[in-house]
Amino acid sequence: MSESILRTAQPPLSRSWRGLATGALGALSGIALLATSAYLITRAAEQPPILYLSIAIVSVRLFALTRAFFRYLERLTSHDAAFRQLAVVRTRLYRRLVRIAPAGLSRTSRGDLLTSVVSDVDALQDLPLRVVQPLVISALSSLLAVAGVFIVSPSGGVVLLVSLVVAFLVTSLVANALATQTERSLAQRRGALGAAVLDTLQNLDVLVAFDAIGAQLARVRSLDDDLRRASLRRASTSGLVAGLVSLLTGVTVIGTVWAGHSAIGHGLSGPEFALVALVPLAVFEVVGSVPVAVLAWRRVAASGARVEAAVPAELAAEIVVDEHDESDVRDDERQGSPAGRPAAPLEFGHPGDLAVRLRGLGARWPGAAHPALSAVDLDLRVGERLVLQGPSGVGKSTLASILVRFLDYSGSYEVAGYEARTLDPESVRATIGLLEQQPYLFDENVRQNLLFARDTATDADLEEILERVGLGEWLRERGGLDARLGERGHWCREGRPSVSRWRGLSCTASRCSCSMSPPPASTPTWQTNCFTTCC
Amino acid sequence: MKPLDPRLLRYASAVRGFLAAGAALGAVQTFFTVAFAFLVSRAVVVVVDREPQRLPGYLVALAVTILCRSLLGWALEALAARTAVKVKSQLRSRVVEKVVSRGHAWLATRNSARLATLIGPGLDALDEYFAKYLPQLILTALATPLLVVVLFTQDVLSGVIVVVTLPLIPVFMILIGWTTRSAQARQWERLARLASSFLDAVNGLSTLKVFGRERRQIRRIGALTDDYRSSTMKVLQVSFLSGFALEMAASLSVALVAVAIGVRLVSGSLELPVGLFLLLLTPEAYLPLRQVGANYHAAADGIAAADDVFEVLADEAEGADTSVSRSSTVPAPAAARNRPAHDVLQLRDLSVSFGDDHVFGPVDLDFETGVLTAVAGRSGVGKSSLLGAVLGTVEAGGTLRWRSDSAAPSHDETAWSGQVPGLLSGTIASNVALGDDIDLDQVVDALTTAGGRDLDPGIELGAGGSGLSGGQAQRVALARALYRLARRPVRLLLVDEPTSALDLVTEQELVEGLRRIAARGVAVVVVTHRPGVLAGTDRVYRLEPTAAIETRQAVTA
Repeated sequence: MSESILRTAQPPLSRSWRGLATGALGALSGIALLATSAYLITRAAEQPPILYLSIAIVSVRLFALTRAFFRYLERLTSHDAAFRQLAVVRTRLYRRLVRIAPAGLSRTSRGDLLTSVVSDVDALQDLPLRVVQPLVISALSSLLAVAGVFIVSPSGGVVLLVSLVVAFLVTSLVANALATQTERSLAQRRGALGAAVLDTLQNLDVLVAFDAIGAQLARVRSLDDDLRRASLRRASTSGLVAGLVSLLTGVTVIGTVWAGHSAIGHGLSGPEFALVALVPLAVFEVVGSVPVAVLAWRRVAASGARVEAAVPAELAAEIVVDEHDESDVRDDERQGSPAGRPAAPLEFGHPGDLAVRLRGLGARWPGAAHPALSAVDLDLRVGERLVLQGPSGVGKSTLASILVRFLDYSGSYEVAGYEARTLDPESVRATIGLLEQQPYLFDENVRQNLLFARDTATDADLEEILERVGLGEWLRERGGLDARLGERGHWCREGRPSVSRWRGLSCTASRCSCSMSPPPASTPTWQTNCFTTCC
Repeated sequence: MKPLDPRLLRYASAVRGFLAAGAALGAVQTFFTVAFAFLVSRAVVVVVDREPQRLPGYLVALAVTILCRSLLGWALEALAARTAVKVKSQLRSRVVEKVVSRGHAWLATRNSARLATLIGPGLDALDEYFAKYLPQLILTALATPLLVVVLFTQDVLSGVIVVVTLPLIPVFMILIGWTTRSAQARQWERLARLASSFLDAVNGLSTLKVFGRERRQIRRIGALTDDYRSSTMKVLQVSFLSGFALEMAASLSVALVAVAIGVRLVSGSLELPVGLFLLLLTPEAYLPLRQVGANYHAAADGIAAADDVFEVLADEAEGADTSVSRSSTVPAPAAARNRPAHDVLQLRDLSVSFGDDHVFGPVDLDFETGVLTAVAGRSGVGKSSLLGAVLGTVEAGGTLRWRSDSAAPSHDETAWSGQVPGLLSGTIASNVALGDDIDLDQVVDALTTAGGRDLDPGIELGAGGSGLSGGQAQRVALARALYRLARRPVRLLLVDEPTSALDLVTEQELVEGLRRIAARGVAVVVVTHRPGVLAGTDRVYRLEPTAAIETRQAVTA
């Protein structure tokens, strides 16, 4: 579990070798195509019987075909491996999230945080495709090319090796240094401008109503100017690496020609010389992918670091961790039992029996200086209805989080006679339901959003319960249980019906024995209905 | 995707200069490409012919050529990067101005977070378009024909081979593009759905946990992603064929040229220098086109972002322009107008519709100065839209005017606090004093009346006002309206759901505060559900889809 998410993004060698092998073969074919062509032409100029050239002619045609063919295979196999790995990365991340959500995630900006985690995880696909693949292929094919040249002309091989090593080092160091500088000078300016634009767009009505739009636009403009000036200063560095590669290619050609010209006649024939002199042109085409891979690595590493920071493997003590995840999902898979069957609820006994007993209960949110709650004593009996009141911030929601075991506690919390700490958090949640302050609506139809709470319910059950919370008419307007809700219940924000009615909808889904903050904007009748339905 | 969108030229003037300068640089670069191939082939030939005394001259010329070629390549890319910076800045400021001029009502029909992302990181996708794609496009249009001409002057047969195979590349790419277009579009859709379903499962995790359903999702995510893989691979098998065709055409023609040269060299109908020169020059003729193909997808992202921007720029739908007759005459500046101590804002036949969706109306309401008026009604009936109509941010039918002078309420005499706090990054004080100078005493007064006595005006808020709880943000937003009230000749205060996140004690203090404000001769309108607030108001309207029923009448002196 402590294995880093970034590490999981790279497919194991048993899966990735096909892509690497075909990629190297494709790159080598390209180098061999030029080498054999140069040899063929120079040899032909010596006007031997055409028979002597047939091998060279066949090789030229063969390498022309294999280059394209292996390239195609490489792209297919490497993408297949990367996609397979994506499923692994996503489930791994999800397992981590399941362990700690929601208390282990940052409380302030949860929505945005998760969105960025998800896109960062998708960006990790670049690790096999754009980092490992090109680096391994260019290293393999350049080494083999050097070996080939060395056999023909040792001095040419040495020159090629030295210039390749220099080129690898110089281009990747320069590319990395330039990217660091660019990031340093631009990242903060980009962030400031982005925040100002978002502020402007999201609060346009406020800015206009308070005559502040002019000042805000001036601010956006000045941030834009600032960013533009800084970016223009950096612009001259782009293309520098490509220019360097082109320069080094040329220098290598000069070097191999110079190294070869003294050896000609002493064991090096004219055609062999042409081969040695021109091969660098093809080899350096492969080198060009190295600085690009270095830049891709920077992006991938940053995404990986963000994911690690957002979903830490090591946790603060206050968070209740669902520990039995990975092994037990695998058990499920082995036995073929229906995964995700909710844990069995605890038995509560008869009306009047003690259901929940709190003694000296306290809790603290991770990273908070003060406890959110301390010394709470409470008895709740079966059949009882209890209302918790108090000013905002006093810890009402915190208590709910403790009761469903999202947040750990000090003191004692007994449910159905058992100390909650000793129970499986899932079976506590199977016993104590929660109607959240902001329940999440899934991008599914109405039926699916209700069914996941109790999958045995019939359509008639669902319609009846919607009727009871005052959503019957609305349901008919929208075309019944098959109506889709859209992203994050998107279309329920079109003005009507308002969010509060949706909270009502979620209430119907709950078999709750504990319900949190009735929706503030809803009508009293509805609140009563909901309370009766739930309790 | 068009290779070069004409709208880019229209909206971003920086592109035009780039095309001209890029073409000039590209032409010079082509000259050096030819020179490079020529000099390398000559250098090899003099060594093979055992004339080493001529080698240094060629190598020196080669070194100069290499230097110039590399510098030109750098210059072209740096120029492209500068252009990208300028274009992004131009498009960004145009789109921000456009959105602001359209107003909030237009913006409300869009996802503002998405729009902000588009204006920020979205446009950065143009970097690739300018750095990698456009220069190669220029070279394809310019260098490729020049190189073909050079090939023809050296050897007609090689020229013919290249001229015949070159057009095959775009033809194949277009054909393959056509056959896979619908499959690709379906695949993109599937990808978007997959990503959003994963995001959905992650965002809803706490709800899933509450219902004990989180584990089922793990299996589901793995299965969905794998389904996606197999269907994507089917599409990729075809769409990677375009890359295959491109590589194949390029490498096969090099092979054809090489073999054809070799055969003629044997027969003595061609010289070695020409043969090597042709061999080195032929791949260069395909290079720009190969680059265009290789960078097509990166460029397509940039173009897609630019497309979204153009759509915003070209969308001529009118926004905040309302059809409500807000005043019969040109309103005089509020201060200069003769304002009676007692006045009534009369809303007559007011109705609001969003497209075909009728919200409410026609309704008649009176908002009287010195009176605390409440607007109640079930959720979604259009109470906030009613305030929007009064403010002029929501399109509405009917009339709206002060009884005394038949003028609509001017901007200056209105203060408003919305349902969403709408705070900006900056201190609490700068939020409260938005659009005005900061007077710290008055800021504290406003915060106190709004029930936010405990809030330190110096607290720094993040983007979107992050750092405050829902209830605190609501109080700051209300204080902002009250500050305006204190600083300007305001006689209409609109407050939307001010107490939804407040406890009962604070709520009562707030209602008292609003009553005192009304008593100073301000028409205070509060949208609310809360019994505690309703009880403290002088007049209550219950808004219904076709009427506003006055459930409690104001007793006015």
